[in-house]
Amino acid sequence: MVRLRVSFMLVALSLLLAPAAMARDVVVYAAASLKTALDDALTAYKAETGASATAAYAASSALAKQIEAGAPADIFISADQDWMDHVSAAGLVQSDSRFTFLGNQLALVMERSQAQRQVIDAQLNITGILNGRRLAVGDVNAVPAGRYAKAALTKLGLWDKVADKLAPAENVRAALALVARGEAAAGIVYASDARVEPGVAIVGIFPADSHPPIEYPVAMLKGADPAAAQPLLDFLKSQSGRRFFTNQGFTVLTK
Amino acid sequence: MGPFTAEETTAIWLSVKVACWATGISLGPGILAAWLLARRTFPGRILLDALIHLPLVLPPVVTGYFLLLLFGRKGPIGQLLAQAGISLSFNWTGAVLACSVMAFPLLVRAIRLSMEAVDTRLEDAAAGLGAPPWAVFFTVTLPLSLPGILSGAILCFAKALGEFGATITFVAAIPGVTQTLPAAIYGLTQVPGGDAAALRLTLVAAMIAVVAVTASELLARRVRQQVEGRDA
Repeated sequence: MVRLRVSFMLVALSLLLAPAAMARDVVVYAAASLKTALDDALTAYKAETGASATAAYAASSALAKQIEAGAPADIFISADQDWMDHVSAAGLVQSDSRFTFLGNQLALVMERSQAQRQVIDAQLNITGILNGRRLAVGDVNAVPAGRYAKAALTKLGLWDKVADKLAPAENVRAALALVARGEAAAGIVYASDARVEPGVAIVGIFPADSHPPIEYPVAMLKGADPAAAQPLLDFLKSQSGRRFFTNQGFTVLTK
Repeated sequence: MGPFTAEETTAIWLSVKVACWATGISLGPGILAAWLLARRTFPGRILLDALIHLPLVLPPVVTGYFLLLLFGRKGPIGQLLAQAGISLSFNWTGAVLACSVMAFPLLVRAIRLSMEAVDTRLEDAAAGLGAPPWAVFFTVTLPLSLPGILSGAILCFAKALGEFGATITFVAAIPGVTQTLPAAIYGLTQVPGGDAAALRLTLVAAMIAVVAVTASELLARRVRQQVEGRDA
């Protein structure tokens, strides 16, 4: 009786596992800032082709380290070139599959009730905007959005005025939350993040030449099955795929 | 501290300061909560128990966000505190609050266990001899649960030293103000090639924890000997 039950369970188990072994979902490791746009795009991809893909979101740094440690990801979308370089240098990227997919802009944001459109240049009265309070940014050493913010402020000659007024957050969305809660007077985030938070409004966009280009490279990873992963990459680049990203304030850099 | 940058040294001392304060301010409420849970029955007791344990279960980032909602500039408690001239936002005192909340369940658990182990007949005897309830508490219950209070305090200190998620969400990581040791370590792991420096700071954190736990163990042993000596 027991043996019968065990063998029944084994059969049931193998039935459960079999489809997984035949067609595994494509796993996308994507930078946290892509969550809204990529979730929508993957839903549309499934509706259009019937093939499903799963996305895991975290800081690009965390994802890169997981991939290096052997995580079963097929596609990596990083929020900066540095971490893609890191994965690539470890020999984990399928050659020729890498391309720069998206761009983003850097925005100065304030609480919606306080925000007034201004031109962001060297004349910006940042001291007046902060009015003794703090400027929320991603950590200027650790978080890419923070590094871009520091570069832009330095280029515009505003860095010395704000260096001791910063509130460095763990990630760009946390910086956004500090502004939305009125904790910080203003913040520097991506234009795409500013759009998802109804509590904040964009004061101005930093000039593109004030910071290194904000780019999201994509690559297929070693161990990925091109037959399953390539159609997804093609879909993201296509007209129907790219609008999910432009809707969220990203710029699509591929033709 | 030769091998460390000024910012790292600041982070180390800030962490120790925050952890000491967090333990200090939690001790009184922690003993009270443990006593209520161990010795009293009252409506809402289970609710209080659950509430105290909540930070153990919630993701720290969520706890930090709740703190921001409640104690931030626009939060209901934050506004009251602001009228009293106390500001927690982007201040090291905010880090103390975040660490206290996160470490509180560990503190209460340890004290409660050791209070529950105190023989109630001793308390009854003291009361029978005419001691008012507060005297029973201070001369019988409290001294006999001292080992638990000590180990609870050290757990609290260790937890506060390592607290990261709630702190960075509530008060960010401003170098010299709210950037504690774990926040500095986290920051370093986010930079390509920062792993070596992160490992260095991790060793420091481990060392502080080992020293603290060892010291408390020695202290607890002495206290236990005294408590048992008095029993005999």
